[in-house]
Amino acid sequence: MADARYDRIRKIAAKYPERRSAMMPALRLAQDAHGGWLPAEALREVADALDLAPAEVEAVATFYDMFNLEPVGRHLVEVCTNLSCALAGAKQVVDALEIELGIPPGETSNDGEVTFRLIECAGGCGYAPVVVVDHLYREPTRPEDVPGLVEELRGR
Amino acid sequence: MAAELTVLTGAYDHDLTRLAEYRAVGGYRQLTRARKMKPPAVIEEISKASLRGRGGAGFPMGRKLGLVPPADKRQGPAYVVVNADESEPGAFKDREIIRRVPHRLLEGCLIAAHAIQAEAVFIYIRGEYLAEALVLEAAIDEARLAGLFGQVKVLLHRGAGAYICGEESALLESLEGNRGQPRPRPPFPPVAGLYMQPTLINNVQTVASVPAIIELGAERYAQLGVASAPGTVVYSLSGNVNRPGNYELPLGVTLRELVFEHGQGIADGRALKAIIPGGSSVPVFTPDQLDVQLDFDSVQAAGSYLGSAAVIVVDERACMVQLALRAEKFYVHESCGKCTPCREGTRWLVRLLEKIEAGDGTQADLDLVAEVCDRIEGKSLCALGDFAVWCVGSYLEKFRDEFQRHVDEGRCPYGGESSTEGVPAPSDQHTHTAMAQVPA
Amino acid sequence: MSSPELVNVVIDGRDVQVPKGTGMVETALAAGIEIPVFCYEPRLGSPIGACRMCLCEVDGMPKLQTACTMAAQDGLVLRTAQTSDKAAEGQDAVLEFILLNHPLDCPDCDKGGECPLQDLTFRWGPGNTRMRFPKRTFDKPIPISPLIGLDRERCILCYRCTRFSELVAEDGQLVAVNRGAQSVIATFEDEPYRAHFSGNVIEVCPVGALTSTTYRFRARPWEIQNVPTVCGLCPVGCNIWATTREGKLARILSRNHPEVDEGWLCDKGRFAYGHLRAEDRITAPLRRVRRRGFERVSWEEALDEAERGLRAAEGSVVVALSGGETVEQATALARLTQDGLGSRAAILPETSHPALDRFRAPLSAIRDADVCLVIGDDPVVERAPIVDLWLRQARRAGAEIITVHPAGSVPLEPGSAAWACAALTSADAPKELRPAVRSLKRAERVALVWSENDPTGGAYIAALAEKLGPKSSVYFLPRTPNGRGIAAAWGRADEPPADGEIGALIVSGDEVARDPGVRELAERARFVLAAVMFESEVTLWSHLVLPGTSYLERDGTTINLEGRPQRLRRAVTPPVDEELAFFAELAGRFGVEVDPWPGRLPDAHAPLPARTEADAPVKAPAARAPKRRRRGLEVVRYRGLFSGAAVARVPQLQFQRSLAEVELSAADALQRGIENGNLVRVSSNGTSRTLTARINRRLRAGVVRIENEHANGLEASVEVTHA
Ligand SMILES: Cc1cc2nc3c(=O)[nH]c(=O)nc-3n(C[C@H](O)[C@H](O)[C@H](O)COP(=O)(O)O)c2cc1C
Ligand code: SF4
Ligand code: FES
Repeated sequence: MADARYDRIRKIAAKYPERRSAMMPALRLAQDAHGGWLPAEALREVADALDLAPAEVEAVATFYDMFNLEPVGRHLVEVCTNLSCALAGAKQVVDALEIELGIPPGETSNDGEVTFRLIECAGGCGYAPVVVVDHLYREPTRPEDVPGLVEELRGR
Repeated sequence: MAAELTVLTGAYDHDLTRLAEYRAVGGYRQLTRARKMKPPAVIEEISKASLRGRGGAGFPMGRKLGLVPPADKRQGPAYVVVNADESEPGAFKDREIIRRVPHRLLEGCLIAAHAIQAEAVFIYIRGEYLAEALVLEAAIDEARLAGLFGQVKVLLHRGAGAYICGEESALLESLEGNRGQPRPRPPFPPVAGLYMQPTLINNVQTVASVPAIIELGAERYAQLGVASAPGTVVYSLSGNVNRPGNYELPLGVTLRELVFEHGQGIADGRALKAIIPGGSSVPVFTPDQLDVQLDFDSVQAAGSYLGSAAVIVVDERACMVQLALRAEKFYVHESCGKCTPCREGTRWLVRLLEKIEAGDGTQADLDLVAEVCDRIEGKSLCALGDFAVWCVGSYLEKFRDEFQRHVDEGRCPYGGESSTEGVPAPSDQHTHTAMAQVPA
Repeated sequence: MSSPELVNVVIDGRDVQVPKGTGMVETALAAGIEIPVFCYEPRLGSPIGACRMCLCEVDGMPKLQTACTMAAQDGLVLRTAQTSDKAAEGQDAVLEFILLNHPLDCPDCDKGGECPLQDLTFRWGPGNTRMRFPKRTFDKPIPISPLIGLDRERCILCYRCTRFSELVAEDGQLVAVNRGAQSVIATFEDEPYRAHFSGNVIEVCPVGALTSTTYRFRARPWEIQNVPTVCGLCPVGCNIWATTREGKLARILSRNHPEVDEGWLCDKGRFAYGHLRAEDRITAPLRRVRRRGFERVSWEEALDEAERGLRAAEGSVVVALSGGETVEQATALARLTQDGLGSRAAILPETSHPALDRFRAPLSAIRDADVCLVIGDDPVVERAPIVDLWLRQARRAGAEIITVHPAGSVPLEPGSAAWACAALTSADAPKELRPAVRSLKRAERVALVWSENDPTGGAYIAALAEKLGPKSSVYFLPRTPNGRGIAAAWGRADEPPADGEIGALIVSGDEVARDPGVRELAERARFVLAAVMFESEVTLWSHLVLPGTSYLERDGTTINLEGRPQRLRRAVTPPVDEELAFFAELAGRFGVEVDPWPGRLPDAHAPLPARTEADAPVKAPAARAPKRRRRGLEVVRYRGLFSGAAVARVPQLQFQRSLAEVELSAADALQRGIENGNLVRVSSNGTSRTLTARINRRLRAGVVRIENEHANGLEASVEVTHA
């Protein structure tokens, strides 16, 4: 299993002029393989496959928002609250989600189902407010759409 | 009038994500033509068209191409890198281009690669653009199978969430598998870029404009837009307008035309309060500046920047202090942390703005905001530091009395009724560091 | 290399001429102008322009520029904060930002008094910050290892320490994590920073964020004295400052010798000084009374006892030297034994081949080589650590590094070094060596490094160098700090008698005292005189024990692996006078005049003597390729750097000792179903040890690698199974 990942990472790395360039694809791979986040052993795996020290991998992983260094829920609900979305009422969407999910942004529901967090501009400003569910954009999402959305997640 | 499109041409009446349809509208013919031309001739054509970079700085692409040492004057390989990190608040044009005309982007890449005899093309797309990455990946596979790449390797590389990776040298660091932190320059990418090899790095839209130049020829292309900045631009219109969205128009249209004709004006007939012409990073305009033409030089002459041509419309319900605070929270969250003024200064600004917004600010705090802005501007390693003060600095300068009222009245004049009241930001929620305890 | 053209630059109105491309910080210094810097440190790779402290105004550029990232070009006109208000304003701004979250706890900071940030704040800085918000706080200081403490509040994120880790030592263990204002320096999962050179981050840190746990609060800079001397723990001989306070050693700092160490030290050299104050240190001469007991005796009594024992030996005398002695000590012993007692019998740590001096070069020349050939089974970093840093630097500069050992780029059988030296120039070189042969032929500058555990190897490597011609320089890594100097001082050595009784045995130093061969001689000796620092079984089988001294307590000369004579200086006084005085006086009693005063080389960085002329061609004994063992796995043993009497006595260094591990090739591991980290039993008929398996993808199949102390009792061929 881990060995299979080692080979996959080596294969990705072979596409680049320099092995280290496979860092982000490798981290994404490891994150998916470890339930959406990067425990220490995941970082060690990547380091091993790229012939780096684990610390060098941790340094990169902690730099980027999309790598999770803590466990996350089965679903990821992200709300953009940057200028355009803010002007279009993102705050109301955040409030609605907070009520429906029963947790403030930055937290994961107790049942481990949903992680709810705020993000910076997602590049959907023209279709604001933008909510991103499991990496797919819901544009626009209005407060009244929230209950249905949460129900849908709980259903899945 | 379709004739005036050069990037999204045909995108709305065909499914140009499919190779066959793109070819049906003449796709990849410009590549064939360009490949028949000698590399210097291609560079010459692009230079004559004086195509200016659409990523923000407006630097002429021809000049950049010219800085790359020709094949016979360099040891190692050269690379083309496409900046598809589009993360500037307000901008969503590259996304449109990738979704609608991925093959036009690829055609542009291959023409550029021919111009500098590049060995490989890397397209760095922001990690959040998953759907777009899939579209582009499919297009790449189709084109590869069709044998369009020839000797050139084309690789799609996904980012992982960091605004700074849009900055070209940080992007290269990130592509090399490091923390996305900018490099000191010189050397500039055309001389020493990816893996320290000569590298042409351009924005998605810039590259996607290249086929049109080969097709129309520099002269005809130069007749579009304005003399100082020919061609068309995809303007991203957002905020409090009736019809937000992407509009490809010639450079030089006025703000008024964009907002009131294409965008059909402010929602619910409210009054316009402020307008940001080039993404959250540039100085703000006031309603009396609606007649400014949207091209690099005109906007700059009016005291701001066209940047990524992302126009954000702000109506009367917004509190500029809250808007400034929210904007600054973005920069503190995105500062890479490498250089001192940006890392420390943005944090300081957020604290000051929070205080003022809460009604606890003093006169000294107001002056200090302006002062801290001065002390950051022009001293940071990359332009993010400047971006972080242009917004706040210009809000303070142009809406001074609104800031003043927060101090004098000890509260927000909107009394909680503003459209921007209590907007939370990622920097407020706990990030994935257990270590840095920043006291409230 | 042709000398680069000179260019004219104007700094603060002063004209300076420097070679094109000189950094502007250096250029300014050449004009007598200091530009303040924090992140800039040329030894850490190309400048990163992060701290922004060096902002200057440059003619023709609208924005302030960082001097540290600029190179001198003709006609460049630059104004520093001293003549440009804009630059001064910029610098002031940057300093204010740096101090925003800095605790300003100088009074109880180890760096206080020798802190660039403190100095700059006094010179330029704003007296008080205008930030009225609470500062960033962290738990402090947190240990990043038993040796180093990290205070994140003081850290100014100049990235010097992380660049050292990434770009100099290349251990990649100390990094910055998180982004922006959240960025902090950290190790992986807060595991200890365990690497041979970790201590250097303390010295590169421009503030008091990284401090030594062995030095914390020991001294204030104005109470201390810095003695220029040389490290005596390995054959590199790094130049050091020994900081003393009230006659006690407080710390070791580097004393940058650009040709030898470039200002880096290994952790053994930096931290092992604690052994000076070990409890089991012998502080007075001891004379055997009855079978097992000892009595403290005076210097005079000790001399009488020694004289009696040596006279009774009637010329049957053997001397065993450790390799840490000064040239003067070795000479005194040589005169005493050879001229006074008429014996040349000795156990020497090395035999140095004269031809080596024909190919000598400063260690810094490794950096300029285009091909470096490292030959021998001993890991260079364990034997002469700094050489490893030079090799890494060469690789970063584009040199090809060829390593010939079972885990090298040319993974030959263990013990192939001598044979490979010859094979590398023979017309019909075996297939695996041919690429190396080609590289060596093509190269314009070659660095040859001998790292085999075979003191007679000089002949082989010198012969190779001779064939390659003057383009090659040779670095023969002795096993001991002054092995070369001692071999030269002793001259021709006779073998000790193979059997029968011996009149007297003189054991010099703790190192050789632990040698089983010496132990065996002692059992045959009527009289054993040992000069050792610490109590050990040696004291039990000696008749007279002299208190030995440390390199930090001696004056004298030592010759490093390059063949560079360097001056040792006494930093602290030993419990009683040093061995030299004793043996000189003893020699006197046998009618031999020996100067009791060590030679006095200048304190300054010692130069390297010129290459000697060839007299006769080098004759290397024939060497055959080792034969592959049929059965079992062959053990390659090496001596870890963190071993020996001094290290054993410094508690904070214990975590650096080699782990109880066995390195396995991927193939052998797979075959035995062993995974990284598994506990395995390593056994050879009779003995067996339980060790942790470490899979080394570069290691040749059929070979395992184990550090000496963990290979104890194992034979040359072993089997490895799940424990
Ligand atoms: C903080 C920062 C963020 C940037 N983000 C982007 C971006 O998302 N996309 C982009 O094309 N250029 C971005 N840029 C500009 C790039 O550095 C670079 O100028 C541009 O990609 C060059 O391409 P062009 O000449 O085609 O515009 C950014 C610059 C800075 C300083
Ligand atoms: S300005 Fe900000 S983003 Fe740019 S290098 Fe400095 S810290 Fe990083
Ligand atoms: S010393 Fe120049 S930026 Fe730090």
